[in-house]
Amino acid sequence: MSSRTTGSTTATRRGLLAGSAAAAGIVATSSPAAAGRRYRPRTYAKRTLLSGRDRHLVSRFSYGVTPDLAAEVRKKGGARAWFAWQLTPGKINDKAGDRTQAWWPELAQGPLTLWQNHAGGIRGGWLVMEDYQRWVMARRMQSRRQVLETMAQFWENHLNVPTNGEQWFLYRKTYGDVIRRHALGRFDELLHAAITHPAMLIYLDNATSSAAHPNENLGRELLELHTVGRGSFTESDVKDSARILTGWYVDMWKSWKASYRPDLHATGRVQVKGFTAANKSADGRAVTADYLRYLAHHPDTARRLAQKLAVKFVGDDPSPALVRRLAKVYLHHDTAIKPVLEALVDSREFRRSVGDKLRDPAEDVVATYRVLRVRLGRPRGTDSAANTMLWQAATIGAMPFSWPRPDGTPLDNATWSSTSRLLASLRTHYQMAGGWWPTQDVGYRPPKAWVPKSGMRFDQLVDHLSRELLHQPSTSVLLKACCEATNLRPGEKITHDHPLVRWSMARLLTTLLDSPEFFAR
Amino acid sequence: MDHENQPGCCAEFSAVARTSRRAFLGGALAAGVATTIGSAVIQTAAAAAGTPARGVVVVLSMRGAADGLSLVVPHGDPVYALARPRLAVPSDRLVAKDGFFGLHPALSPLLPLWNAGRMAAVHATGLPVRNRSHFSAMEELEDASPGSTTRSGWLNRLIGSDAIASPLQALQMGGTAPAALYGSAPFLTTRSISEVGIAGADKWDTYGGRNRSLHTMWDKRQTRLAGSMRAAFGAVADFAPVVASPSTPANGAAYPSGDLAKALSEVARIVRSDVGVEVVTVDHGDWDMHADLGTTEWGAMKRNAEQLSGALAAFFTDLGALGDTVTVVCLSEFGRRVAENANWGLDHGYGNAMLLLGAGVRGGYHGTWPGLTNDPDADLLVTTDYRSVLAEVVSSRFGASIPTVFPGFSPTRVGVMLGQ
Repeated sequence: MSSRTTGSTTATRRGLLAGSAAAAGIVATSSPAAAGRRYRPRTYAKRTLLSGRDRHLVSRFSYGVTPDLAAEVRKKGGARAWFAWQLTPGKINDKAGDRTQAWWPELAQGPLTLWQNHAGGIRGGWLVMEDYQRWVMARRMQSRRQVLETMAQFWENHLNVPTNGEQWFLYRKTYGDVIRRHALGRFDELLHAAITHPAMLIYLDNATSSAAHPNENLGRELLELHTVGRGSFTESDVKDSARILTGWYVDMWKSWKASYRPDLHATGRVQVKGFTAANKSADGRAVTADYLRYLAHHPDTARRLAQKLAVKFVGDDPSPALVRRLAKVYLHHDTAIKPVLEALVDSREFRRSVGDKLRDPAEDVVATYRVLRVRLGRPRGTDSAANTMLWQAATIGAMPFSWPRPDGTPLDNATWSSTSRLLASLRTHYQMAGGWWPTQDVGYRPPKAWVPKSGMRFDQLVDHLSRELLHQPSTSVLLKACCEATNLRPGEKITHDHPLVRWSMARLLTTLLDSPEFFAR
Repeated sequence: MDHENQPGCCAEFSAVARTSRRAFLGGALAAGVATTIGSAVIQTAAAAAGTPARGVVVVLSMRGAADGLSLVVPHGDPVYALARPRLAVPSDRLVAKDGFFGLHPALSPLLPLWNAGRMAAVHATGLPVRNRSHFSAMEELEDASPGSTTRSGWLNRLIGSDAIASPLQALQMGGTAPAALYGSAPFLTTRSISEVGIAGADKWDTYGGRNRSLHTMWDKRQTRLAGSMRAAFGAVADFAPVVASPSTPANGAAYPSGDLAKALSEVARIVRSDVGVEVVTVDHGDWDMHADLGTTEWGAMKRNAEQLSGALAAFFTDLGALGDTVTVVCLSEFGRRVAENANWGLDHGYGNAMLLLGAGVRGGYHGTWPGLTNDPDADLLVTTDYRSVLAEVVSSRFGASIPTVFPGFSPTRVGVMLGQ
């Protein structure tokens, strides 16, 4: 459809809608004021809510605000105190999050076993990767270390090694572990751990690089994607970047052991941007460490990371002032991540960004499970929810870390606003609201459980559900939408035997999940 | 859960979509643009009189690296039979045979197209440099600007090169969109036609409350997401004629069973419904035949080639005259080795054959034969960058700018498309 004709369709469609609404006997109201008069929200505050500001912080740094999470936040003295507590994840008891790894036993296997299983046709690498992606989703759903999980996601995406079952799958789980260990630590340490990890070495061809034929793949992406960024380096920088990294080796197709091979290291003077080294030793590990530390501390890297963090956690177009400030904090604290996050959440721009970030597909699925308080059981078969939830994410558009390129999943809203994604989200929400699929090793709340008092008014019920699912009071727009979706009046008495409870609860619940409030995180 | 996505939901939109479509058509025709199916809505000011109308390009990816040497057999190269004592397709079994090439007998259903000069094969095509990883080769092929800083797929650059902003312009049938579609221009991915709808807006939604409630929540919002949500509602409406279209194939076409046939039968419905879809991507796998590729009597090659040819033949029968507006390009991320392995299979190689069918195609065999080498590691070398082939397709069918779609690439003439 060309842009010049868009107007006419919109107009026609609106005309038709108004027509059909009128035909159905409902007076179409066009102004919010009119909606407000007819659909006045009525409070049903059984459970206290966090303040709007607290909800915003907790929502942005978690996978969905549930009543339990809100209680935890209150216990810690509010969102900011909760956030500070979350920044030291080692101190957070997390039995629920920890036990999920045991659900997929092959995740504990070493590379050689995984390879033998793969090559012997016993279990393909892509299947192991699916388990890894499920475990990631289960952790996000159940872990109490919500800030750690959001940051592990951020860095694992920044240093993307796709979970697609190619050879690097052998090391992909431990790669994720390493990133998670450093996710709230220092970027210079995280960078060294990731770049020299066998998963990354295999993925970007460094594992077979040599002094005679330095492979430039990792050396280039290290500059372009992981640190200083496009436009900040030359082709000569790439060549020396690749030479510095020679020697980090994986014994491909045989033992799959990772080692450092001095005989493969390209010695001799190197220069990348402002970094120079004589690089005389055949053991290039020290020069690698110096080089990566230099890159991590480079102002261009600081700016890039600050920009990406702001796009992920504040908005798609963060102000240059905010980015500058975060970059400064990053450099001032020797690449430590926590102070940057604290500066970010304490900024006025962050506080004003309520509703500005959209959940990506896996975040959408995880949040849907969380707010519907779906109990995820240990998977016993391929149809178990803990396994099939991955297909739900795939349907909406992306599984965790499956982005096929080294640049990682885009963080902007536009990528996740496609027609396909939105329609698939609506479909998944409705399925989950009805508890129709998946059905194995999963527990949905029965419709009655969503109605706290038999005989309560419908408008009160909508307010209650808004608090439970969206952690905010209902609005007149939401009430109106819920009335339309169920064909009920605000004053209707809802008993536990009401047809709504017996037949149409899914229509009501999905309306809340399909609201702008739920799409945002 | 299928019943949740029944088309009935959108009957109310269907009528309006048709009406508006006709209005668009009227506009385009009034401007003096002679257009055909699939292009009427799209081609507006850019199409001066005499410019070929835009149509539909279907990119069929044979996932897993198909063996082009089995599909388009170089029987005239003596190394072929030597390197494949068990797997070589016997020369006397080939169809569409000339002095050097012939097609696998399982491609026989395509002979009417071939004999009509509507099908072509380009041999020894591929990436400019070797890449044996399925995954990164697919990425490179679909990105199609290796070494450049552009991180978007060539199809996305194609659909992004005009003023059309509808997500319906490009459509992926099947699970996940290929990297070729990734980028800033909107596109639609769906597993089937019936899924392009609003869940819950079904026949049980007696009062139409589902759609109304969604409009209540989203219509007055000023955010970009709300704009996208309204575009999604609009796309559902625009797509409604496809959903409402009969699922019975036309012209007596009989599709074989299988996913590819099902996908192509849906593509035919989309083309016939004329809702502005220009680019369709379809994936077909699995062509990764390390073992049991087999012979003309048994094995994965026979099976896959039959699925491919049966589905494509039925597709063009189904389309009838509309087939003159549709070009199908079949390609793979890379080819397979020249010499067979110990398991009745072939390992990852390099050069490959591309197949082109339908509108604008200059039938027959194309490309420059590099000659085969019999060595366990030998590859079919690449003499034609596959982008040269794609460039001819996009410029002949869409008049698209080559530097935009394939940045930094200078195509070499292949001559596989008429007028090129």
